[in-house]
Amino acid sequence: MKTHVSTYAAVLLKRQWLSNKSFGIIISTPSGFEFEPGQRIRLSCGGHERDYSIVSAPKESDLNLCIRNVTGGKVSGFLSTAEIGTSLSIHGPHGYFTYKPSPRPAVFVATGTGIAPFCSMARSGLTDFTLLHGVRLPEDLYYATQFQQSARTYVPCLTESNKLPANAFKGKVTEYLEKHLPPAVYDFYLSGRREMIRDVTLLIDERFSDSLVYTEMFY
Amino acid sequence: MTIYTGTGDKGKTSLFSGERVSKADARIDAYGDLDELNSILGVLAAHLSAKEELVAELQQIQSDLFQAGAWLATRPDSAAIDSLQEISAEQIAILEKAIDRYENELPGLNAFILPGGHITAAWAHVARTVCRRCERKVVPLIDQSMKAKVTVPYQRLLVFLNRLSDYLFVFARQCNRIHGVLDKPWRS
Repeated sequence: MKTHVSTYAAVLLKRQWLSNKSFGIIISTPSGFEFEPGQRIRLSCGGHERDYSIVSAPKESDLNLCIRNVTGGKVSGFLSTAEIGTSLSIHGPHGYFTYKPSPRPAVFVATGTGIAPFCSMARSGLTDFTLLHGVRLPEDLYYATQFQQSARTYVPCLTESNKLPANAFKGKVTEYLEKHLPPAVYDFYLSGRREMIRDVTLLIDERFSDSLVYTEMFY
Repeated sequence: MTIYTGTGDKGKTSLFSGERVSKADARIDAYGDLDELNSILGVLAAHLSAKEELVAELQQIQSDLFQAGAWLATRPDSAAIDSLQEISAEQIAILEKAIDRYENELPGLNAFILPGGHITAAWAHVARTVCRRCERKVVPLIDQSMKAKVTVPYQRLLVFLNRLSDYLFVFARQCNRIHGVLDKPWRS
């Protein structure tokens, strides 16, 4: 990965609410900014910084981000109400959570907005992967259409809904892995909440030993 | 955000290249020692806080050690190796120039010296010995890199550690010199 890390100026172009607690923003891609699918940018405002994984593919003209509106969150709160056209400072790209080609099957596991890096990979043309997306409700399944088209297997895992979309699983991602993923050696990519990463990693140690595990912790 | 994940509670940890390995694995052992060395350099820098140039020099080495640690945390047959930045010939040359510069300022040596003297020199000697231990842990890992035909970055890492050990010896003597403490020769 040879991307150049620097500070860039960007502009907020668009905001779209994805659910009652998450929204997507589109910002201009600064001249000279390059990244690989799965990487993050650091967004600064009012002396506060937060890292956000990029949802869009490098070939796209603008940068898309998926943001969880954290109660009392300085940066997410600012971005949730900032006027379109607001200037932003971004630093990056950061991170190493990129897809590594391998003979082993790739299993992507996300919770909530942890789906973002996988979206960038899919929008960049990656197709041969299994994706589990753990959320509470069907409206939290942002980018479902994208993954229905690109993933070899896409399994929404819903914990609090009885109205299940097609091919969805009722329960946590860990329960799906225990019950439905055949024991084998995989490349696991885990992105999202710390508790999910802990539980899935320990499950991998027990049930899918010799697999590789790459992680990106969101919160 | 808290720093704990709990993924290591059963004695395993993850390499940068994704493998889940025992915390007693040779790679973990090696970069654990590198971490120890880095922390000792932090102690040394803290004792030298009034000497800004020396602190800056040590902090650059601390950054270099993070770069080195990433190589130790990555198996050479992994695709993750493409994400790593090699230790450069220039980083080694910077150490060599510093060694030459300090040696020009120091009296010649004709005997072994006892590690110690000023507190900063004593810590520099501790850092030197831990650096030598790192070298000893890295050597067996070189064999794996040769099998994977990724030899240059690992060999350069070994050169960097060897040169850093020499640097820390001279740096210890320099610490004594700038604090007006004479190195104590070994009397057999």
